[in-house]
Amino acid sequence: MINTFDEKILDEAYQWIELKKTVILATVIQTWGSSPRPIGSLMIVNDTGDFSGSVSGGCVEGEVVRQCLDLMKDKKKFKKIEFKVSNESAWNVGLACGGEIAIFLEKFSDAD
Amino acid sequence: MQINILKDIINLKNSKKEFSVITNIKTSKSYIFFINKHIDNDLKKFETQIKGLYNSRKDGMINKTDLFIKHYHRPIKVVIVGAVHISQFFVEYAKSLNLDIYIIDPRGYFASEKRFPNVKVINLWPQEAFEYCPLDDKTALIALTHDPKIDDPAIQEALNTKCFYIGALGSKKTHENRCKRLIENGFKEHDIKKIFGPIGIKFGGKSAPEVALSIIFQLMTEIYKK
Repeated sequence: MINTFDEKILDEAYQWIELKKTVILATVIQTWGSSPRPIGSLMIVNDTGDFSGSVSGGCVEGEVVRQCLDLMKDKKKFKKIEFKVSNESAWNVGLACGGEIAIFLEKFSDAD
Repeated sequence: MQINILKDIINLKNSKKEFSVITNIKTSKSYIFFINKHIDNDLKKFETQIKGLYNSRKDGMINKTDLFIKHYHRPIKVVIVGAVHISQFFVEYAKSLNLDIYIIDPRGYFASEKRFPNVKVINLWPQEAFEYCPLDDKTALIALTHDPKIDDPAIQEALNTKCFYIGALGSKKTHENRCKRLIENGFKEHDIKKIFGPIGIKFGGKSAPEVALSIIFQLMTEIYKK
């Protein structure tokens, strides 16, 4: 039997959209090595920089928020980002576990 | 992902459906997949792989494609007999877990909505209540009244329907007596041994929230074993 915890995060994303906020959904789509959160983990970020959920054990969330805020200003509606130990910015934000993760960012807004 | 798909996922989750969401990471277009429904033409080529991943419930990129699949699981049904103090904490702790909780208690003063807001409380004797929430091998039954009049019929039904987890509150002595009554009622010792009694993982705590926690821990352990 497989159980997951009951993620209310998509409900929360929708509430933000209804409040006319731009929201980015970040999904862990690939992991290599020892990554703290499994594939499928979700995090959301809105245009005021509030975030909910997690894509790591707190190691890269700050950088993900920054990337999400950049994407909000961009015409692009989606983007794949990766964090590797060899990647300098990841090292700075500290994916200290030695794992690697790929995250898919998708933008939502009330105008969609 | 399209905004209407996001809305659909929320609604499907609330109606406790089991499904998967497939997203093309090159286009951001998402599709909802149901095992028993027609698959979208865009995904037709990958149907075998998708079905395989659905059955193994594995989230991830579909091999050699730009498709990412994430599964949404139906919550596990937990039927608690006894709208008691421990049950209140159980409900509180279980909020973030994917459990579908029913509480049965024939005693109206226990089974009140005030004590259990937003929970499905059935104010009937277990035998009658099971018409509304039938037990099966994917259901957990937790008996907490330690009143044989209420707990025993519920445990018997749980044994008959092969609930994957059966736990019963009470001391060792209470549980021994319970087992004797079950033997007298024709149940096999082999099946009776599957009952977790006294319920919960022993860690020293005896207060209602601590017992609730120990039950949740034991239940979740059994869920992952199955």
